Amino acid sequence: MQKTKKQSMEKKLEKQYFVMVLPGFIIFTIGLIIPLLLAVRYSVTSWDGMSKIKEFVGLQNYINLWKDADFRSAWWFTIKFTIGNTIIQNVLALLFALALDSGIKAQKLYRTAFFVPCLISSIIVGFVWLKMFSNVLPEFNELLGTNINFLLFGSGETVLSGLLIANNWQWIGYWMLIYLAGLQSVPADLYEAAKVDGAGPISRFFNITIPMLAPAITICVVGITTGSLKVYDLLVASTKGGPGRASTSVIYQTYTTAINGRQYGYGSAMSVTLVLALLLVAVIQVKGLKSKEVQA
Amino acid sequence: MKKKLLSVVLCTAMLVPTLAGCGGGGTDAPAETPAAEEAPATEEAPAATEAETPTAAEEAPAAADGEAVTLTVLAGQSTTDAGIEEMIDEALAKAYPNITLEWECVDWGNDFQPKMQQYMQSGLPDIMIGKAQDVATYAPQGILGEIDAAYLDRGLDAARQNVTIDGKTYGLVYNALYQGVYYNKDMFEENGWSVPKTQDDLQKIIDDCKAKGITPFASHMVDTWSIGNVTMQFAMNDVFNNDPTWGDKFRAGEVSFANDEMMKTAYQYNKLIYDNTYPETFSTEQTDCDAKMVMGEAAMKVSGSWSIQNFLDIDESFNFGIFPFPNQTGDSKLIFEPNITIMTSAESEHQDAINCVLDVLTSDKELAVEIYDYTKTAPMLKDVTPTFANPSQADIDEYASSNMIVDVTLGNNQLVWGGFQEENAKDIAAWLQGDISFEDCLAASDARVDSSSAN
Repeated sequence: MQKTKKQSMEKKLEKQYFVMVLPGFIIFTIGLIIPLLLAVRYSVTSWDGMSKIKEFVGLQNYINLWKDADFRSAWWFTIKFTIGNTIIQNVLALLFALALDSGIKAQKLYRTAFFVPCLISSIIVGFVWLKMFSNVLPEFNELLGTNINFLLFGSGETVLSGLLIANNWQWIGYWMLIYLAGLQSVPADLYEAAKVDGAGPISRFFNITIPMLAPAITICVVGITTGSLKVYDLLVASTKGGPGRASTSVIYQTYTTAINGRQYGYGSAMSVTLVLALLLVAVIQVKGLKSKEVQA
Repeated sequence: MKKKLLSVVLCTAMLVPTLAGCGGGGTDAPAETPAAEEAPATEEAPAATEAETPTAAEEAPAAADGEAVTLTVLAGQSTTDAGIEEMIDEALAKAYPNITLEWECVDWGNDFQPKMQQYMQSGLPDIMIGKAQDVATYAPQGILGEIDAAYLDRGLDAARQNVTIDGKTYGLVYNALYQGVYYNKDMFEENGWSVPKTQDDLQKIIDDCKAKGITPFASHMVDTWSIGNVTMQFAMNDVFNNDPTWGDKFRAGEVSFANDEMMKTAYQYNKLIYDNTYPETFSTEQTDCDAKMVMGEAAMKVSGSWSIQNFLDIDESFNFGIFPFPNQTGDSKLIFEPNITIMTSAESEHQDAINCVLDVLTSDKELAVEIYDYTKTAPMLKDVTPTFANPSQADIDEYASSNMIVDVTLGNNQLVWGGFQEENAKDIAAWLQGDISFEDCLAASDARVDSSSAN
């Protein structure tokens, strides 16, 4: 009798799970899986995005990618942008979180001030920093009589720095909140015990804070890396991939190739390689960082 | 066991629609949509349109029926055009109150082509507003309707030339831009400079500018499109005026960017501009650049009529003229670009209402003058004269009277903008910045040969 009731309950639960999961599956399938599979299919054609003819070209598009200097250059920029962002954003977000967690005055004000930029669209951020570098900051040179080069978007040598400033300004506050939440969940008695054992602040930071923050670090590193690999909107509004191709990311190159260049098949091959790279990076990072996570 | 069964069911639920989505093997996306499926072959499109499109005389009663119709409009706009939709709405409401336009305004340079690609899958808007060169891209796809001669006859003959394919006209050209070197007339007079006709003449002005601490050229190379635009201006006078089929020969492998001296010279002019403009050109936007020109910080600017709006907004008394950028042979022509070009969908169910819109656009002279005055552009309708004071008009008239004007659509059809000219412009920017060599820049253009034609 008891067993039958349990089975019936399990059956009901399974039905519930199925019903609850189904909408997600449908949306996920229509919005992500189908377009992804279509992209894979288009990537083996020479379709221009307009005509009815989709000539099958096998792996030719993928072979051509290896020879494409523009695509390689786009990857090189994307990798530099990703590495720069991952390091700077994680370090600064963690430092700001530590500062706010130390009990300084007006903590809420700082937290809000740091967080507000991430509420702004990246398109707006791009425009803002374009104006900042081109018009606003150079005015300081005139006021102060200095000769600092603020025209960071104007040269291939400095455009990456300018974009890192803009992107970090926008997102540090967001990741800072995640670190802050992580810091606030670290049990205080761990620090007290360490203090009793004679551990100094640096020792406590590396032996308690960092290990306890490992789950937050995983989230932040994976989030920043994958987000940076997909950078597009910031570039559209600020540098348009230039000067020349100095700030053309993989997605920007994919878009201009597939849509403006009417090479939909070739552009699809670019997007497939990006998806694979994103998956690979995310899996490696999650696997690597998960192994470092500890429980209090 | 049941859990396994549930897993199988869920996986199947996910895979079935997935496989369904990519199924159909040879079924191409355009063919999946009724619009694309039913799209006639290139040769058939005009015939079908002809059958469906009533003449101007026939459609008047249809409009008088008063049946409410909403037409969708995709407007690919230049910087000068934003705002004309309200003027058109107002005029249309007076003439045909039953017709409403649902506008989708996008930037022509960046978004018109992507939008068109999107709509070619899902069904085109009733009306599309682009540039004359778009006709060569989309008409061969069989998706554009032929424009009724009744409306075309209200426009200048020159407006038809580059929007007509196989004797059928698919675009109504509404206005035109002129491109060349805008110059500060007062500054030229004060310094005793006359309009240069040769490269030597131009170099003398540049040298004198430098000696007097004046920046010779205003430019805004942060906008890659401006590099692409001036390069086509250079190519028109040094390449296409000599060889109108240069693009065809390029695709046939008979000429190349790396080996053709004329094209190399056209590219090299960018360096001349870059070396004689302000150092922050790659950080300067068009508005700031135009302001510098008006404020007398630069003597010249290679540009087009789109700058006039800015010039006159900043200082309505700014005295400027225009001349074609001198070529190697000293016979440069002023460049003329058909701009706002109205195209219609061959598949639209509202051809009569579309014709009503064309009727308003071509017959309402008050509206036309309002649009030309606002956009500061030249009319392509007969018997319509804008009232805005254009200081460069005297120069334009002079070049027109001596037949020294050339339509840039020729060059834009030979070497398309999207995917070719704009990509080449990025390489030119990289070369100017010293990131790549001139040879690499030319080689990159050569490597892009497959993208150089619209079809």
